[in-house]
Amino acid sequence: MVKILVYPSNSLILADLVARFGHEPLTMMRVIRRKIKEVGIDSPPINVTPEDPKRGLKYAAVDVPSGVRGRMALLDPLIEEAEAAIIVHEADYSFGCMGCARTNELAKYVIRNKDIPRLELVYPTNDDEAREFVRKIRDFCKSLTSTAEVTA
Amino acid sequence: MTRKIRIAHLSCGSEYSGVQKEIQDAVEAVNAEIVFPEVDTEDIKDAVKEWGLEVASPDLQLMIARAKSIVDGSSPVDAVFISTCFRCAEAAITRSELRRYIHERAHLPVISYSFTERTTAGTLLTRMEALVTTALRRTLLAREKQTGLTAGIDSGSTTTKAVIMRDNEIIGVGWVETTEVLKSAESAYTTALTMAGVDKSEIQALGTTGYGRLLIGEAMKAELIQEELTVNSKGAVYLAEKQKGPATVIDIGGMDNKAIAVIDGIPGSFTMGGICAGASGRFLDMTARRLGVDISELGPLASKGDHNRVTMNSYCYVFGTQSLVNALSLGATKEDVASAACYSVAEQVYEQQLQELEIVAPVIMVGGTSLISGLVEAMQDLLRVSVIVPRYSQYIGAVGAALLASGFINEQQEKA
Amino acid sequence: MVSDETTKMVVLAESSPILPSELALRAYELSTDAVVKETCYGLIVTGSEKSVDETIKELRKLDPSGIFVKDRGFPPGDSRRCRAVRGGGPRPGFHQLERESNILPNISYGLENIEEPSDVKGREKRKKLTIDRFIEIIEEQSKEDVNG
Repeated sequence: MVKILVYPSNSLILADLVARFGHEPLTMMRVIRRKIKEVGIDSPPINVTPEDPKRGLKYAAVDVPSGVRGRMALLDPLIEEAEAAIIVHEADYSFGCMGCARTNELAKYVIRNKDIPRLELVYPTNDDEAREFVRKIRDFCKSLTSTAEVTA
Repeated sequence: MTRKIRIAHLSCGSEYSGVQKEIQDAVEAVNAEIVFPEVDTEDIKDAVKEWGLEVASPDLQLMIARAKSIVDGSSPVDAVFISTCFRCAEAAITRSELRRYIHERAHLPVISYSFTERTTAGTLLTRMEALVTTALRRTLLAREKQTGLTAGIDSGSTTTKAVIMRDNEIIGVGWVETTEVLKSAESAYTTALTMAGVDKSEIQALGTTGYGRLLIGEAMKAELIQEELTVNSKGAVYLAEKQKGPATVIDIGGMDNKAIAVIDGIPGSFTMGGICAGASGRFLDMTARRLGVDISELGPLASKGDHNRVTMNSYCYVFGTQSLVNALSLGATKEDVASAACYSVAEQVYEQQLQELEIVAPVIMVGGTSLISGLVEAMQDLLRVSVIVPRYSQYIGAVGAALLASGFINEQQEKA
Repeated sequence: MVSDETTKMVVLAESSPILPSELALRAYELSTDAVVKETCYGLIVTGSEKSVDETIKELRKLDPSGIFVKDRGFPPGDSRRCRAVRGGGPRPGFHQLERESNILPNISYGLENIEEPSDVKGREKRKKLTIDRFIEIIEEQSKEDVNG
């Protein structure tokens, strides 16, 4: 089983397909779950505190807006753990963690610069495209399994 | 109990900067509540297209759709708070245009703020208080004449001012440097009372404003404790006799600067800024000391100089001063240096704050710095409109407080 | 609260013959420790990771290609994300979920017909006109305008 970072990291379709094809999806929802359970922090709604944008300095300097750095801090554990990545484009209804275009540009850049297998595709708009979409993800997942077996 | 004011929060990034709780706390402190206007997913793209600003960030698109739902009347709210990350160009454009759009179309009070992770509830409190006051206390703010015998105290970061008014006339004033907040207030108040020839016990109502308003207001049992944004705009149009129609009030203070777009004496939208000392009255104070002149002489000196003859490399309090010192050592005249200092402050306020407001004549400059003629001239030059500096402009907050406090005499008399 | 408490959303594709109520009924029958909440799009399942996974494994069997699952950060009814408490407006992930829900029938179709040959040519890219052809068009058009 390979840990696959999905982007948008809150995608239902990507999380489902990755799990369905036998791997572990790395999603924002898990990060948020950990965050909101942190004891002793009361910073609703998602317990992001001013410390998070500071942690985000790992990815961008202080002249980059705090919202970008805060979001990058949330993505950090996913990027760190990722052994592979699937990025889907044209995710124009992604708000919140995925709602900042500058963060999305930076995050994708950071992921692309990581030496891990990567699949990039666009959201399907009809049945044929969806079949292709599902097949590509399945094949990508399969290729990871065989690589993982070989390395093991 | 009065109902809670509903403040619509249009935001990008506040939850991820760790400041949402601070915003929430500031809103709760003024007995208001945050609401997020409802929008359908399908409507977001259409709203953005119709509004016409092509922004890439989905959260900014959501802000636009929410603003449209406020303007269309689908989301009933009393006021709007727009907040986005500091240093984001895309967000700054959206924020400033949305502010104008909502204010013009929905006639609601709007404030906008660009935050960093260091923004605290304390920083936001004055703004929230003003937002709620303009939404809630329109009757109080509609008062155009002072009645009875009232007093106003303005506890600023640099100076404390007091004013005594009787039947729409200023009969006593007091002005001291702020040291200990309460002591300074008492001292300014006593001076004003002595000048007016009245005893403290005769004062029918007292209003306090400025940084120390809460402390002084509680200690002196003031009838009105009010932030300086609403009080100053009221005081400005009152003293300038421009109570009807639009006006723009500019107040360059010791610690922060206020620019307020006023309509019929009520602030419509405003900006309050001032992280930088280089854009404050203190910079001019320091320049005067460097030049070895009294602050009261700096204005006339600047009027005789030409700012173009001095190169200012920075707006900064420290490095800007360095430029002035260098200019003096290179043979620049005191007049030119004084003019350059005034121009530097005016230009910074113009570039950083006034761009967010629609500057509508009459433009009224108030506060202690409005007495520095060189600064007023520099502002006139930049805005290309003539600027009014009313008599007693340095007492603006105290006058506004005394004027508004007289509203409470009537209330008490009616009750009795 | 269980220390490894986890929450997952079970989302039905619009094309699925299964109803949220049927999902809920099946979940109750399983009598795992997981708590189930029926929603308009399917279910929210909360409990220990083991019980949630067991429940979901069984639920998927009802319609393998029409049921989709993802984690949810907040447990159901958490006041920090509750619409009533936070003053209206859906939580940020809602619009994304709604948008993805719209294409779930396509994804279901893709899963069912994954081995079918497909003739997707890729989305057509608009080609740029050559400058020579553009000049020709301008000339043709201006002639027409003059004659017309």
